[in-house]
Amino acid sequence: MANIGIDLGTTHSLVATVFAGKARCLLDGGQRALVPSAVRYDTTGVPRAVGEAALTAASDPDGITFTSVKRFMGRSPADVADEAALFHYPLAEDERVIRFTVGEREITPVEISSFVLRFLHARAEEVLLGRPGGAVITVPAYFDDAQRQATRDAARIAGITVLRLLAEPTAAALAYGLERCAEGQRVVVYDLGGGTFDVSILELHEGVFQVLSTAGDTHLGGDDFDRALAGLLREQAGLGALSGISARALVRAAQVAKEALSDTETTTLKVELDGRRIEAGLDRGTFERLIHPLIARTGAACRQALSDAGLTPEDIDEVVLVGGSTRVPAVRAYVGELFGRAPHTGLDPDQVVALGAAIQADILSGNSETDTLLVDVVPLSLGMETVGGVVERIIPRTSAIPATATQTFTTHVDGQTGVDIHVVQGERELVRDCRSLARFTLSGLPPMAAGVPRVRVEFTVDADGILRVAATEELTATTAAIDVQPSYGLSDDEIEQMLDDAIDNAEDDIDTRLLIEARVQGEQILGHITAAMQADAALLEGDEQAHFQAVADDLKAALSSSDRQRILQLGERLDEITAGFAQRRIERDLALAIGGKAAAEVAEKLGLSPS
Amino acid sequence: MICWRCHEPVQGAVCVGCGSIQPPRPGVDLFAMFGLPRRYHIDTDEIDRAWRAISRKVHPDRFVARPAVERRMSLQWTASLNEARRALRDPIRRAWFLATGVPNPPERSGGLLDPDFLEEVFELQAQASTDPEAGRARADVIHAALMGSLEEIFRRWEAGEGSLDAVEGCLARLGMLSRTRAQL
Repeated sequence: MANIGIDLGTTHSLVATVFAGKARCLLDGGQRALVPSAVRYDTTGVPRAVGEAALTAASDPDGITFTSVKRFMGRSPADVADEAALFHYPLAEDERVIRFTVGEREITPVEISSFVLRFLHARAEEVLLGRPGGAVITVPAYFDDAQRQATRDAARIAGITVLRLLAEPTAAALAYGLERCAEGQRVVVYDLGGGTFDVSILELHEGVFQVLSTAGDTHLGGDDFDRALAGLLREQAGLGALSGISARALVRAAQVAKEALSDTETTTLKVELDGRRIEAGLDRGTFERLIHPLIARTGAACRQALSDAGLTPEDIDEVVLVGGSTRVPAVRAYVGELFGRAPHTGLDPDQVVALGAAIQADILSGNSETDTLLVDVVPLSLGMETVGGVVERIIPRTSAIPATATQTFTTHVDGQTGVDIHVVQGERELVRDCRSLARFTLSGLPPMAAGVPRVRVEFTVDADGILRVAATEELTATTAAIDVQPSYGLSDDEIEQMLDDAIDNAEDDIDTRLLIEARVQGEQILGHITAAMQADAALLEGDEQAHFQAVADDLKAALSSSDRQRILQLGERLDEITAGFAQRRIERDLALAIGGKAAAEVAEKLGLSPS
Repeated sequence: MICWRCHEPVQGAVCVGCGSIQPPRPGVDLFAMFGLPRRYHIDTDEIDRAWRAISRKVHPDRFVARPAVERRMSLQWTASLNEARRALRDPIRRAWFLATGVPNPPERSGGLLDPDFLEEVFELQAQASTDPEAGRARADVIHAALMGSLEEIFRRWEAGEGSLDAVEGCLARLGMLSRTRAQL
């Protein structure tokens, strides 16, 4: 079972895997690697479409298409009120957890993301002819504990085994093989996407990457280029007020023109607006002057990152470009000038992060030959509240993960039987300036004089950067029944509930649901194998034909029974014994693809760029 | 030591015979963890090198496909290894560890401060209230002197002369000074 890497992005997501020693993005039938991070719900709150289809349906009035939900992951309703208004998302009345109201239902960003993940997972299953093993999922380097937890929850609801959460810039550096660079090299990862800009500075020591600093702008990206261009055209053509559909068409046409200008010096923008045909010539110089103020804003963030890391541009050894907007030549030139060196551009900037995630997923499979060890760091200090609302720092930022640290506290009131523990994340001295992660109470202490109890609090950050907290009163060995309830996250019960809901919206009986799932999975495997055996009988070796057929027949018989376990077991068995055959088919198709056109489709499915 | 899984003798973190990670031993000496001599004067690059070599063996990335119990041990191992590295790289925490066996200041180290030093700090605060710049400069001078005496105590101790008795007092003064300076 191959492991996969997933880039769960704000506007787009991708899935990749390592095949024959090379990382590749998995493409859909239309050869597209990018899946819009969009989910369409109907008016009753039932999910109807994911990706391109959800975007296409966005202008239909009977339902709602959610995009950019990554902006809402692991945040509090108070954090995102402005953002929700910007996207016209209906926020439900809830002080703790963000929920969008659709019909009778309330939908969380975690649930929406889980559908994007499920979609990517299904694509991987289709292309790899079987269920993928585990997944490495990337998160921005600055994601705090609650945001990472939300990402992992989304994967859990999607039924995906998460091998690791990986910082996006680290993934990008890995995709370029920069872990093999000389000792002490410093790498800038410049990530300009559709709607967000991130810059990170990494330092490398003997195959160990450490994030030194990150900065960015959560509302700056290629979409701003499109809007600026559309605005210019509107002015030039003297267009008055446009209908919603025409305004979108104009922005879309601007996007096409922008992309054309990455390859040519001049282009013609053509668009039909409210029955009027508009044609406008456009040259690269005009476009570059137009977007210069936007690009200059990325420069400010880059200088911030440098100063946070205590570095100057001369200290930078490598620059990596990520995000589709870095295709714009003016962006490349600007970055090159800023850091005084030509950036790496060898890989598709949209795919870089997913490719790096796939490489890490392959390393984690244990089959990889590389000996690289990626060590991520805690992005923001973790601590707890002490007297007067002051933060006691327990694990400082940039500590290598996994990390652990303990601190001993005592009580301030005589006869106190419980101690409130408030876990926060951030660099500021006062609790109110930091992010509240969790609160819990160590209760059941026998009454003692103030200052006598010794409460030992242990923080542990796992390899995904997710925190667990335990508290013990050492004199009486009272242990906190810790139910670390993320302040702005979902409780385990809520996740269990969503897991149930996610399996099937209509059915009530869980066994029936699970049986249906098992049957669907079994039928898929059976279908794949039967078709493959017919198409490529010549590639079957020895008694494989008979062997496969026997198991396939057993599976077929089991499918009409209600024995879920047997269906699952036989499905897995069939998958397992045919792995060699599947490998031979792929290798044969790749060999053909080198010379011929016939197998191009397979090569494309594997993400080999058409050459 | 005997491997918890295959019951063969084992050295280090991972059993050579069956590949199982061994449970981390609580209370192990931080220097011994990295195979380094117990010294204050130490090359932090040496700590990092040893840290990387051990990380490669015990990191959770190496145990993704192993049973849950081993994944848990790997997490504990690596987390305590990372914490040990952080403690040893910090000269103050390294000094605390050599003097007391714990790489953190005790909860109440105020009792270790002498009246003369406290008076010096009060003067410093008074000066800073009118001239913060001069206050900070004076704090830096005292800091340098205290670090110098710490170096000297350890230099003699490493040469087999003298004891570490004066270390705790010196560290308590440094702690007080840095808290004071942060408030200036």
